Amino acid sequence: MEYLIHLGILFTIYAGLAVSLNLIVGYTGLLSVTQAAFYGIGAYTTAILMTDHGVNFFLSILIGILVSGLVSLFIGWILSRFKDDYYALVSFGFNIIVYSIFLNWQSLTRGPLGIPGINKPELFGIDFSRNINFLILTVIIMAAIYGVCAFIVHSSFGRVLKAIREDEKAISIFGYNTSTYKLVIFVISASIAAVCGSLFASYITFIDPSTFSLNESIFILAMIILGGLANLRGSLLGALFLILLPEILRFVGFPTDVAAQMRELVYGLILVLLMLYRPQGILGEYKL
Amino acid sequence: MPILQTKKLTKKFGGISALNNLSIEFEAGKITGVIGPNGSGKSTLVNVLTGLLPITSGRIIIADSTSLKKIAAHEMPSFGITRTFQEVRLLEQMTVLDNILVVITKRNVIGALFEKHKTHYLKIAENVLERLGLWAKRGELAVNLSYGQRKLLEIARVLAMTEAESTDVKIFFFDEPFAGLFPEMVKLVVSVMKDLKQKGKTLVLIEHNMDLIRELSDKVIVMDSGELLAEGLPEEVLSRRDVIEAYLGE
Amino acid sequence: MDIIPQLVANSIIAGAFYALIALGFNLIYGTTKFFNLTHGVIAAIGGYTVFFLTTTFGWNIYASAVVGVFVAGLVGYLLEKSLYKQLRKRKASQMVFLVASLGAFTALQAVIAIIFSSQFQTLSIGSWDLQTFNIFGGIITVVQLVTLVSAIVIMIVLGIVMRWTMFGKAVEAISDEEEVAKVVGIHTNKIIGRVFFIGSAIAGLAGILIGLDTGLEPTMGMGLLLKGVIASIIGGIGNVYGGVLGAFLLGFIENFGIWKISGEWKDAIAFGVLIIFLLFRPQGILRK
Repeated sequence: MEYLIHLGILFTIYAGLAVSLNLIVGYTGLLSVTQAAFYGIGAYTTAILMTDHGVNFFLSILIGILVSGLVSLFIGWILSRFKDDYYALVSFGFNIIVYSIFLNWQSLTRGPLGIPGINKPELFGIDFSRNINFLILTVIIMAAIYGVCAFIVHSSFGRVLKAIREDEKAISIFGYNTSTYKLVIFVISASIAAVCGSLFASYITFIDPSTFSLNESIFILAMIILGGLANLRGSLLGALFLILLPEILRFVGFPTDVAAQMRELVYGLILVLLMLYRPQGILGEYKL
Repeated sequence: MPILQTKKLTKKFGGISALNNLSIEFEAGKITGVIGPNGSGKSTLVNVLTGLLPITSGRIIIADSTSLKKIAAHEMPSFGITRTFQEVRLLEQMTVLDNILVVITKRNVIGALFEKHKTHYLKIAENVLERLGLWAKRGELAVNLSYGQRKLLEIARVLAMTEAESTDVKIFFFDEPFAGLFPEMVKLVVSVMKDLKQKGKTLVLIEHNMDLIRELSDKVIVMDSGELLAEGLPEEVLSRRDVIEAYLGE
Repeated sequence: MDIIPQLVANSIIAGAFYALIALGFNLIYGTTKFFNLTHGVIAAIGGYTVFFLTTTFGWNIYASAVVGVFVAGLVGYLLEKSLYKQLRKRKASQMVFLVASLGAFTALQAVIAIIFSSQFQTLSIGSWDLQTFNIFGGIITVVQLVTLVSAIVIMIVLGIVMRWTMFGKAVEAISDEEEVAKVVGIHTNKIIGRVFFIGSAIAGLAGILIGLDTGLEPTMGMGLLLKGVIASIIGGIGNVYGGVLGAFLLGFIENFGIWKISGEWKDAIAFGVLIIFLLFRPQGILRK
């Protein structure tokens, strides 16, 4: 049971990351591979504030959103000058730069040693160090994130995002300042990723830079491409599948370290096969 | 009164001038036909005037009041300018309905996020799509339409902008809207254009079919090698020798 | 002791390794116009092939190296035939190529880790390992010297081939306009297949030399690839000499950049340089 609750918490966190990334990649058509950077910013903000400064968990989430929002404003502003494969490449670069900061700003992040002893929150007398309670918390936050994303994509704003994806120049001629739209959705997406990071830090109680590397961004990208671009339910499906995959592989009998590699192998192959035979993913409404 | 003028407008690609010191005027409330052989700069003119291509030198004057040396594409609708494309540019992986709605809704981010006029917008989109015979196709992705339907959807899109509160479009550029259309579709588009003129709108029509130019235009501008070759009433201009030669010479 | 000569030597050595990666990457990019992310893992395949032959069969290092280079070329060739050629047939977008090559990269990297474990491995050329030269006060090993010489020789040979042979002219034609090249009777798929073989073989050589110089890790590919990409872009993408020039420039910037700060910042510096170049001189130093 504890094991299922653990998987449930991981799923909700990744679902948030996937859904928010889909706003950028699936709806707006920008191949961003830097979601893990904002995930990390949220996680580190919570970790540092809670362990060193005794800040309340929920307040640390808000501060994480703020920090991630500001950083993403800068990164998004630079990214807005690029498109297609150069956009992807520069976003790679930002993930690596942010990762380097986690790794090397040792006075703040403790570098490769990581930050241990992050607490679980308490609210209204509910103790979230019980995993079942934490699961309920993440499910509620996840539902709110999903609601926000669904609201965005079903609004006129969401329609404009899709239009930017289809033909940015044409839609600007019809009166849309497309760079503002791209920046706004980038910041929203990064803020959501930061919330996921705060939850992750508190749940695992220990973070180090390796969780927020480029590979993690690729992993989240694989989730949304598998589940389906420009479809929020698809992102949930993709997250669920890729979270369960290593468990399935372990269940089949692979040792843990081989199972981890098998996971990489399978999701690499999934990306290749999807690109060959179904570039929009399982439930997707947009072909890359 | 001219609603839109160009002053010594020049557009160069590398060393080649696609528009060369072009000074022309478009009269308010009239249909101006723009003709000229292929490569004479007609489409370049529209692309520059709608901000798709940057101006090399010269300027444009809108409604005698605004003088621009640089054009930002997304500001053109606020100056009352919109267009169709010669090579149809639809939002391919979006529905026909969304292709229309996106030009009706609010342009600013906050407005677009929180506005609540779904039924109102839907009504406008329905009227426009009905008019062009595309309402039944509203759920289809634009990419799946036939060639003619795609051309009509472009017309529907600019027509919808006249109905929307978010824009106040006065000047329409039609870049070869009839090319490849069946006769009954041509009739439909002609009636749409006549209605727009009736409502006091200014139209600029790029077209190779001289019968349609004669039928629709109040004035004709002839371009050749990026320059103004002739202008005037259709019957006068179209019978001039140099105009005929410019066409036959291509 | 004066540190400058060693910094210069380190810059040139790093530049030589980057140049080998950039040469192959740039050749493939110049022909096919997409970021072939598998290029990095192919370098690793070259290195691991040699590791396998020398440790399992006790082969001598030179024979193993020849086979390693061939295997790397072959894997590149097979990827082209089984994946990229199929995507070209489907007229896939650049995004699809990028994601597919990301998938193939991830899968191949996982295969290496499953076969050889994630452990760090080293290659050896026996007594030559310890032999060093002192050039103006900078220390350089035999392997590093071989790398430098190979990079320069391959650059010159490629330059001559591209300029003076039918093959070079065919590549040029495909690079300009693949459809037109087809029409004038060039067997585009055959030429592209060869380009992949040659480019990947050069990457394999780079992987082997890196194995001899610093060692092998399954995850070595991504870092290498990104340096090769950055070198190509800042030097001039699709230009044989540009890639090499960019590689040495990158070597110098990285090594002098970390003169006063920790070496861990290298990657961040490299991407910082890339982003600055893309913003202010996107065509690179040498235009194609």
